[in-house]
Amino acid sequence: MSVTPLLKIEGLKASIDETEILKGIDLEILPGEVHAVMGRNGSGKSTTAHVLMGHPDYEVTNGNVKLDGEDLLEMESYERARAGVFLSFQYPHSVPGLQVGNFLRRSVSAINGEEAAKGPEFRNLLKEGMEQLGLDRSFLARYVNDGFSGGEKKRFEILQMMLIKPKLAILDETDSGLDIDGIRTVAQGVDAAIRGSNSGALIITHYNRILEHVKPDKIHVLIDGKIVKSGGPELANKLEERGYDWIEKEVMANE
Amino acid sequence: MSSPYLEHANTDKAAHIWRYTPWKRAHPTGTINEVPQSESPEISISLVDGTSVPDGITIEPATESDIERLGHELDFDHGTAAPKFIAAVAKKTMILKIENKIKVETPLIVTITTSGDICASRLLIDIGSQVEAEIITLIEGNANWTGILREGQYGSNSIINDVVTQITGNRLVRCDALSLCRDAQVKAGTVNASSSQAKIDIRHWLNEPGSSLKVNGSILSSNENHLDSHIEITHSGRQTHSRLEWHSACGGKSNTTGTGMLRIDAGAKGADAGQLFHNLLLSEKAKANSIPELEVLESEVVGCGHGTANGPIDEQQLFYLSTRGLDEEQARAALIAAFLNTPLSDMGSNLLHGWLVERIEKHLNLI
Ligand SMILES: Nc1ncnc2c1ncn2[C@@H]1O[C@H](COP(=O)(O)OP(=O)(O)OP(=O)(O)O)[C@@H](O)[C@H]1O
Ligand SMILES: [Mg+2]
Repeated sequence: MSVTPLLKIEGLKASIDETEILKGIDLEILPGEVHAVMGRNGSGKSTTAHVLMGHPDYEVTNGNVKLDGEDLLEMESYERARAGVFLSFQYPHSVPGLQVGNFLRRSVSAINGEEAAKGPEFRNLLKEGMEQLGLDRSFLARYVNDGFSGGEKKRFEILQMMLIKPKLAILDETDSGLDIDGIRTVAQGVDAAIRGSNSGALIITHYNRILEHVKPDKIHVLIDGKIVKSGGPELANKLEERGYDWIEKEVMANE
Repeated sequence: MSSPYLEHANTDKAAHIWRYTPWKRAHPTGTINEVPQSESPEISISLVDGTSVPDGITIEPATESDIERLGHELDFDHGTAAPKFIAAVAKKTMILKIENKIKVETPLIVTITTSGDICASRLLIDIGSQVEAEIITLIEGNANWTGILREGQYGSNSIINDVVTQITGNRLVRCDALSLCRDAQVKAGTVNASSSQAKIDIRHWLNEPGSSLKVNGSILSSNENHLDSHIEITHSGRQTHSRLEWHSACGGKSNTTGTGMLRIDAGAKGADAGQLFHNLLLSEKAKANSIPELEVLESEVVGCGHGTANGPIDEQQLFYLSTRGLDEEQARAALIAAFLNTPLSDMGSNLLHGWLVERIEKHLNLI
């Protein structure tokens, strides 16, 4: 019997202002799997993440995306979030005036229901998460991402992931800007949320440092809006050692 | 009836303070040579937590000498008509007095309950030296036209958060004329959500050295509201500091104006001042104007700047909130609340902030 993939992307093409950025992406994540996407600056990694989340600036021109067999592209962004997709932004937006504590309650209650955002269980989860991430209590009174350091922004994204407990976590360079302890915490968070469950994760990164802690099942290399190579964890080391030139050559030779 | 008002009933229409709401429109009857009959509002004081008001804090009818000592209404120049009118039309003048060195832990509420057609009050504020207090003046009731004139001073070395709020109401003309004594630290907040028409004129004088003022405004206009605020700050003492942050969320077919006048007199060496008006435009039909103006007559100033920003709700912020499960309505409400909350949370303590948020939140769904 075949399992329904958690995420299935087929032939996905997307443009911004008439410029095609994603040129046909295919990717399948099974429940319990962690995949990584690597690629140079500008190859379309964040675009992929934004398109999966329904960013209004991008136009999907081809392909389809299914989450647990359901058409993701048909849904509004908030519906995707409620269906279980979570994006940890590479550059999260600040919302001056909106306090972290208030924001977390609104968001957890929108996604997991009002009950999930109150009571001792929520408070404990919040407290534990903040302790693990080294965030002080006073953090709750600050404004969302306003004046946060790079590392604080990333920690805050992960705190949200821990509270929301998504079905599919997309981490867009969450490791950049974090020290090794931060990366370890993120890795533990991903492991705890994904392994042995029906959830999954897509980790977008430049570095294999995070991949040493969250062992991915598969690695995909994105070049110019296309996945040109997929492989096991060993691919990450090879990319770190040798860069992307050899893959580009390989691709050109095949064409 | 003769009064100093009638000599000043004609205003300078070219002055920016009268450009968007002419005095004829703000005046209760529109016949500006008239000082009509009026009622007096009920005024009472209490503490937010319901405990009794401590000794040393009183509100009572003012004497002639109180008015002479604290009355500022003649200090208004091109805006003289409105404060003089309220002084003329109000039957009673009350005085809120806080004696030297009184420290109040919980915010004090001055409730002004209006009724009848035209309801006006003149309120003197006499804050002693070294007082530490938070004061919320809550204007409520159902008068068709309300006039409030608040005049007085914050004593030397006092630390005062002074918030005036009208959450719903009909027509309002409010004039504040307050001076800061030496080293006084004052935060003056205005919260207005949906008065049908408001003409607000707030003036502070930093005459003595070392005083510091923050003026914050959180304005929510909706429907066909017409809200016009003028904020004037004059530095004449040395080493004085002021900031103005005025946020207006403008929805419906409302019309919102903020005019600022920042004046640094000769001799105010070391003055440091800045003003910022920020309008969030929530509908295509909402109009917002902001005009900050500077008049700097002293060269040795630390800083003196002004700015305005106008714009709709930020699409990227909206997207961020939608990826966190908030539908469009929830996300917009959260962003409007956030926008108004920046100045609001700076108005005073957590207790005061919580009290204000509770009252304003109910009105966000008006937009
Ligand atoms: N708003 C935009 N308008 C026009 N082009 C854009 C826009 N956003 C991204 N692009 C272009 O799309 C391409 C892919 O960008 P994307 O941000 O997805 O890259 P990335 O792989 O995430 O890069 P990085 O490693 O730097 O984060 C780049 O060439 C970029 O210039
Ligand atoms: Mg990117």
